[in-house]
Amino acid sequence: MPQTSSLGHAPVKRGFIRQLGVDTVYSIFGLVLAVMSFTLIITGLALGIGLLITVIGFAVLALTMLIARGLADMHRIGIGGVLGRPSPRPAYRKSQPGDGWFRKTLSPLRDPQSWLDVLAGIIDLPFAIFAFVVAVVWWAAGLGGITYGLWDWSLPHPPDNKNLNDFLGLGHSAAARIWTNEVIGVIFVLTLPFAIRGAAMLRAIIARALLSGIAEMRHQIVGLQEQNKAAASAEVTALRRLERDIHDGPQQRLVRLAMDLGRAKQQLDSDPVAARATIEEALGQTRETLDELRALSRGIAPPILADRGLESALDALAGRNPVPVDLAIAPNLGKLTASVETTAYFVVAEALTNTAKHSAAQACTVTVARNAGLVGVVVTDDGQGGAHVAKGHGLAGLADRVRAAGGTLTVTSPIGGPTEICAELPCE
Amino acid sequence: MRVIVADDAVLLREGLIRLLSENGHEVVAAVGDGPSFVSACLALTPDVSIVDVRMPPSHTDEGLRAAVTVRQSLRGSPILVLSQYVEVSYADDLLADRAGAIGYLLKDRVAEVADFLDALTRVAAGGTVLDPEVVGQLVVRRGRAPLDSLTPREREVLSLMAEGKSNTAIARQLVVTDGAVEKHVKNIFTKLDLPPDEEQHRRVLAVLTYLRG
Repeated sequence: MPQTSSLGHAPVKRGFIRQLGVDTVYSIFGLVLAVMSFTLIITGLALGIGLLITVIGFAVLALTMLIARGLADMHRIGIGGVLGRPSPRPAYRKSQPGDGWFRKTLSPLRDPQSWLDVLAGIIDLPFAIFAFVVAVVWWAAGLGGITYGLWDWSLPHPPDNKNLNDFLGLGHSAAARIWTNEVIGVIFVLTLPFAIRGAAMLRAIIARALLSGIAEMRHQIVGLQEQNKAAASAEVTALRRLERDIHDGPQQRLVRLAMDLGRAKQQLDSDPVAARATIEEALGQTRETLDELRALSRGIAPPILADRGLESALDALAGRNPVPVDLAIAPNLGKLTASVETTAYFVVAEALTNTAKHSAAQACTVTVARNAGLVGVVVTDDGQGGAHVAKGHGLAGLADRVRAAGGTLTVTSPIGGPTEICAELPCE
Repeated sequence: MRVIVADDAVLLREGLIRLLSENGHEVVAAVGDGPSFVSACLALTPDVSIVDVRMPPSHTDEGLRAAVTVRQSLRGSPILVLSQYVEVSYADDLLADRAGAIGYLLKDRVAEVADFLDALTRVAAGGTVLDPEVVGQLVVRRGRAPLDSLTPREREVLSLMAEGKSNTAIARQLVVTDGAVEKHVKNIFTKLDLPPDEEQHRRVLAVLTYLRG
C-alpha cells in the first residue's frame, strides 16, 4: 500500500461521454430539485416571517432551514459530479449541551451557512431553468435534426406550408427540407456537449460558491495550518539533528585537535620526533573535521544548488552516490523557486541516502518532471523494499519537509522491493 | 614566482601570503572579490594566481567566473582555484578553454604544504592539476566495461594521471620505479584506446574526456 501524506483533491477527469451524461442528468432532473427547493423555501420563509409575531414563526423558520439544508446536501452531490471535485459540506453549528429547548430550536437560524443554503435554494431556480431549457433544446434539436430524414414522411406537407428552407431561399423541394433539418441537427449535436456543459457549470459554480464557499475556506485554513505545523516540525527536527551532528563530529575533533597541539607544544623541547608525529596526527584531524563540516553544510544548503541550480546539484549528487544513478531531468523544468529546488534536492538526497544505507540496491533512477503547476520527483531502486515514512526513519522528516512546501510524498516499498519514492511539489 | 591571492576571508588570505612568502614567492597583490581579482590579474600578469571560489559581490561561484574571465583576455594565464567544495561541473568550466595552466583543489590541500607548492609550480608551468575528489567522482560515475578491464594498480595510476601528476610523481607516490609507471601508462592508453601525448595538460584532458564518457 502506498503511504501518502496528502492535502486536497485533484479534479476527477471523466470521459467525454460520461461527463455529458452527468451534465445532462444534472440539468434535467436538477430542475425538480430546484423547483422543490424554491417552493418549500419561499413558502417556509413567508409562513415563518408572517408568524414571527407568535413564537411559532421561529420554529417554522428553523424547520425551513433544516429543509434547505437537506436539499443543499442533495445539490452538493450533483455539483460534485459536474465540477469533477467534491463540493464539501460545511460543519453546521450544533446546539450546545447546556442549551434550553428554545435555543436548540433556534440554532439553525444562528448559523450563517443556513442563510446561504436558503439564498442558494432561491436563486438556483433561474439557473436551473436555463440549464434545463438548454439541455432539452439541444438534445431535441440535435437528435430530431439528424434523424429528420427518417420521419419527414410522417409530417403533413401542404403546398403553402413555409419551412426554414423556404426562408433561406434553398427551394421548396423535399431534399432541401431534409438537408436543412439535417444540417441544423448536426450543428446542434456538435455544440451539444459544450452548450450543456456551459449551462450546467454556470449553475454548479454559482451554487458551489454559496453552498461550499465557507467549507472550502475552512478546509484551506486547516490545510495551511497543517502545512505550518509540518514546516515547524521539519525545522525542529533538522535543527536537532544539526546540533547532534556538530556535537558528535567537528566539535569533538576540534577538542582533540587542541589536545594534540598542546601535547606537541610540550613535546617540542623534550622529544622533537614525537612532536612531529603528533602534529602529523593533528593535521589528519583537521582534514577529517573539514570533511565533516563540508558534509554538514551540504546537508543544510548545498552550495552548488545556489550556484548552479537543481540540475547541476542533482548531477553532483548522483556522481557522489555509491549506487549507480540513472538521472533523467525533463528539459521543460524552467525556473523554479529556491524553496521548490531545495525541497526537490533533499527528496533526492534523502531517498538516495536511504537507498544506499538500507536497500542493498544495485541501481536507482531519479526522474524530475514538471506538469501543470506541479514538479514531480520520483526516485526508484531495485533493492529489497520495506522503506517507511513512520517516525524514526529518515523519510519521516522528508515527509514533513515536502508537506511544508505544500506538496505530497508517497512511498511505495513492498517487502522484497522495488521501492518508489515520489514527491509532488506545487510550483507557479 | 609573482603570485596574486584572492580570498575574501582575511584569515585565510594572510595565512596564504605568509606561507607563500616563507617559501620564496612574492605576493604582488591580495584582493577580496571577483572584479578586483580580474583587474589585478590583467594589470600585473602574475606568474600564477590563487583564487577562492566563493567571494563577494555575489557570494556564489564568483572566483570561478573571474578565473574564466581573466583567461578570456589572457589565454592560459595560470590560475589555481581553491574551494571549500569541489564539484565536477565547476572543473568543467575551468577546463573548457583547453589552455592548460589550471588547477582546482580543495582548500584543505594547503595543509600538505609541499604538495600544495608543487601543484602551484605545476600550474605555473602550464600543467593541469585536479583534486582527487573530482577525479574520484568521475571514476566512480563511469562504471563502464573498459574501466573494468584495468587492473587495480592501473586504475590507481589513471586517477593520479587525471589529477595531473607526472610519471615521476606517480612513481614516488606509489613507491615504484619510473619505468613501472611508464608501463602502466602505456597499458592504460592501449586498453582505453587513448591517443598518447607527452604534453602534460593534454594528457590530463585526454584522460578526463575519456572519464566523462
